[in-house]
Amino acid sequence: MDQFDLKMRERARREEFPLPEDYAGRVFALCASLEEKHVETKKTTNRAPRWLIGVAAALALLVAVPNLSAPAARALERIPVLGRIVEVVTFRHYTYDDGHGQADVSVPQISADGSAAASVNKDVQAYTDRLIEQFKADCATLGEGYEGLDVSYHVVTDTDGWFTLRVDALETMASGYEFSRIYNIDKTTDQTVSLAGLFKDGADWSRVLSEEVRRQMAEQMADAASGKTYFTEDFSGVADDQNYYFDQDGNLVLAFDEYSIAPGSMGAPEFTIAKSVYQDLLK
Amino acid sequence: MKRERRPTETVKETMLDKAWFSGQVIQNEKALYRTARMILRNDQDAEDAVQEAILSAYAALESLRDPERFKPWILRILTNQCYDICRRTRQTVDLSDVEETLPASGTDCTERLTLYQAVEQLPDDFRTAITLFYYEDLSVRQIAGVLGLTEAAVKTRLSRGRQSLRALLGEE
Repeated sequence: MDQFDLKMRERARREEFPLPEDYAGRVFALCASLEEKHVETKKTTNRAPRWLIGVAAALALLVAVPNLSAPAARALERIPVLGRIVEVVTFRHYTYDDGHGQADVSVPQISADGSAAASVNKDVQAYTDRLIEQFKADCATLGEGYEGLDVSYHVVTDTDGWFTLRVDALETMASGYEFSRIYNIDKTTDQTVSLAGLFKDGADWSRVLSEEVRRQMAEQMADAASGKTYFTEDFSGVADDQNYYFDQDGNLVLAFDEYSIAPGSMGAPEFTIAKSVYQDLLK
Repeated sequence: MKRERRPTETVKETMLDKAWFSGQVIQNEKALYRTARMILRNDQDAEDAVQEAILSAYAALESLRDPERFKPWILRILTNQCYDICRRTRQTVDLSDVEETLPASGTDCTERLTLYQAVEQLPDDFRTAITLFYYEDLSVRQIAGVLGLTEAAVKTRLSRGRQSLRALLGEE
């Protein structure tokens, strides 16, 4: 490389190469929509559709932000400000099938302009990574059996002040094992909220909720026609990080993993706690 | 009773890391546009080629064996897309596009031409190789891989491209 080459490379770095207006925004929009486009273009023509534009694309852009590079962040700055948006999409889709082991894992990502969403996203990624690694390890020693892993998610609540995301997993070997993680975000404070975080400091909420769960267990088992059975001795009480969400009527619902307090035939039990039971203990 | 795991040739595994791919694309977005624009000499066609290249690259992400070679890998996909567009449209250069970049008659070319304007005036054979060499800092070997040429052919194009650039820019 001679002096002329060096000079030309320097000029190439220094001189502006004209780019079309909002080209970077369109690249970003396309990247954010890749999963859908990936499928569609396989089925349609050789000519891919034009760039995505508009609010839907801008919403999608926010989804791709976590873990992207500085250029991505700069590109984001060119996106119209849309305020506090909570949107959830599949950020990564993991599939596996070798005839004995099958996995279908949808990893959600929350887009929002606060730290709570980032915290949940990080935890969800770590959690699903662990499930996938465990699945791979199980497959490696599978034998002639069958190993399955399905992970899906859905938004339980999305109001002006509250957001709840539920990630459900089903591991299948000889039988199925259903378990969940539920994430609650207080939009007004931009904080994730554990069950303990709902209640006043020093409040005796755990005892109150545990007694209510035990009462409901006993009530259901007393009804022989219901056929319900609980491992009451395995229920040690409601923990600080117990999975929970609020139903449409504002009642607290405590969610338990399959086998944790009941036989597998009971599935993953849930107990709805009337607001009157706990409202005096709330912050 | 456990058994040994079967050979993995029947294993189908897909791990689409959208965040990583998106980050790589965004880091290289200018290189993608510059390269497409220099081949096609048309803004809209260049953007279409970039779009198609991104989609094709994502669909073929498993074929990228060395993440460090993402840039030449996607540029190769992009140049193929550009050549496809050329074949589909039997594209000829729109004179009005070129004229916008040309200096007005009677002026001193060497003072007015930017590097971009000079490169754009190079013949098709030289233009892309020169762009990849000066703008994208690719080596001769990498350019050969991107364009599907021998290294000797790339050196020839760079050499002739240099001569033309010197004349256009008044560099001796």
